[in-house]
Amino acid sequence: MNLDDIRTDIDRVDAKILSLLNERMEKAILARRFKTSTLDTAREQAILDKVRRSSQCLLDPAFSVKMYEQIMAESRRIQEAGLQTVAFQGEHGAYSEVALRVLMPNAATIPCREFSDVFEGVEKGIYDYGIVPVENTLGGIVGPVNSILIYTSLKIVAAIDMPIRHCLLTLPGADHRELRTVWSHTQALAQCRNFLYRNHLDPEPYYDTAGAAKALAESRPKGIAAVASKFAADLYGLEIIKEDVQDTPHNRTRFFVISTKESDAEGDKCSAVFTAGNKAGSLFAVLRVFADEKINLTRIESVPDTPGKYAIFIDFEGALLSAAVQKAISKVSALAEGFKILGCYKEMRVEE
Amino acid sequence: MIKNIKLAARKPGQKTTIIDVNGIRVGEGLVIIAGPCSVETERQTIETAIAVKNAGAHMLRGGAFKPRTSPYAFQGLGLKGLKILDKARKETGLPVVTEVVDTRDVSWVGEYADVLQIGARNMQNFSLLREAGKSGKPILLKRGMYSTLEEWLNCAEYILAEGNPNVILCERGIRTFETYTRNTLDLSMIPAVKRESHLPIIIDPSHGTGILSFIEPMSLAAVAAGANGLEIEVHIDPASALSDKDQQLTVPMFESLMNKLRKLRAFMDEPEMSSALQENMDTPAGKSAVQENNAQNAAPPLPGAFSEAVD
Repeated sequence: MNLDDIRTDIDRVDAKILSLLNERMEKAILARRFKTSTLDTAREQAILDKVRRSSQCLLDPAFSVKMYEQIMAESRRIQEAGLQTVAFQGEHGAYSEVALRVLMPNAATIPCREFSDVFEGVEKGIYDYGIVPVENTLGGIVGPVNSILIYTSLKIVAAIDMPIRHCLLTLPGADHRELRTVWSHTQALAQCRNFLYRNHLDPEPYYDTAGAAKALAESRPKGIAAVASKFAADLYGLEIIKEDVQDTPHNRTRFFVISTKESDAEGDKCSAVFTAGNKAGSLFAVLRVFADEKINLTRIESVPDTPGKYAIFIDFEGALLSAAVQKAISKVSALAEGFKILGCYKEMRVEE
Repeated sequence: MIKNIKLAARKPGQKTTIIDVNGIRVGEGLVIIAGPCSVETERQTIETAIAVKNAGAHMLRGGAFKPRTSPYAFQGLGLKGLKILDKARKETGLPVVTEVVDTRDVSWVGEYADVLQIGARNMQNFSLLREAGKSGKPILLKRGMYSTLEEWLNCAEYILAEGNPNVILCERGIRTFETYTRNTLDLSMIPAVKRESHLPIIIDPSHGTGILSFIEPMSLAAVAAGANGLEIEVHIDPASALSDKDQQLTVPMFESLMNKLRKLRAFMDEPEMSSALQENMDTPAGKSAVQENNAQNAAPPLPGAFSEAVD
């Protein structure tokens, strides 16, 4: 052990402290919804008492109390700032979070374990919005998200279509020649298959791209790299060995932003879902309505629902309140089973 | 004919192989590779890249992994240097040529560079040659400073035998009893390679002479002798360079050389001159082949990549 080693450890601890503080602020924002006012003296006193009694031997109680008073003052400030909260699946640094930062740079992004946690949290009003990936040019539809969309009561209020640019990340100072294994989400690993093969790297699946980066930063194994976003590299203090390691530049993901309320702003694109009847020409009859009204369909996707039944997702151009769209909807509602408009929104396309 | 050379040998009537590097065709016309000896900083590399591009260079050179005589000398920036070269390529569009010295680096250098250079000191590093062959990337193979033509072509054979047909040969001077110049630039290798091999040959006058004022005359001599290209060290501020500070051209020197090369090249493209070169060089042993080649020479020469780029 030398000074450099110790300093590396200190850097790691600092990164953890900041990450935990950020998590504490997230909880504070969520707690705001359940409180009548930001200041709760009894609760703050209870926390300070606990801190004072803490038996961490190197921490002087006076120091700990002072630090916590500051942390709680900052929590109150953040609660009063009234930031909008947006849930996403995965760890901080996930591509959903990267996409959301483009749409709403000032929102508080809250990580969730599963897609269903995102939907449920928004439905219950814990979060203002959720952001979920819907489809990817290489991987196809994101199954779990589309399955939930069939029955959700939530509305799509915005969409973003964004290139996914993977980076190969390592611990700072790691020798690229020693790398043997790469952790990432199976989808991301598949998108970088040729790159990994060329450089003799073994893929090892992980539940999340950013989660792999986080685990790498925390457990610090030798000979292992992660494939994740550039944002994840910054967040977890990892070094970028190579940017753009995906095998094709046409790697794009489309995300929906969901909320309990419809979008206030007028959109120019709509999403809907329905079930076509099990008889000849029933799907055709529905699609024909849109053709007759000269409405351009931009997506048609069928997702298996109950046995023998398929949910059909369609996206089409036009504002919900426009005459052509209104006319089409009234006709289609009579033809298709369970026709539901999921939302009318503006879609952003990010080129670079 | 040299023995044991199968894939690198020129068969009777065979034309020089053209190595396509992102649209730059090495083996056709005159291809100029220029840039600093070492990648030192982002600014130095990108500014040099822009300057050599404006002067008419076709590719950028720059060392990230440096094989140095002394272990205490600057060893190059490594991976960081590759990232800088990548930025310079994005900035200028010039394909990047950079040296690889370690078998474990071959695939990684291949991720960033368009041409992998194998230096004189590594010419007979057979495991490195095999890895370079497997990468499938264009390889610029320098002649070892103590190597014969036969040994050199055998090394090219190692790469070709791995299924990689993209080999460019580069003469950079050899050790002789003469110590006045850094090395003795063996320009006779141009016709020799052209007789024995179908691979393109380029000349490195910077290492070949090691003397700043000799680079221009030897560059012109190489082009007159029929070289397919030149690899020249250029630095925005040679005095501050971390390696080879005495043999890197300044940008104005390089611009002036490029002007002369352009004129010489136009002269060399005249039918009489180009056919004279063909007769001397593209002739494999055996008389019948000479006649075959002469018949082909009747066709007007293709405009060189060099003159196209200048336009």
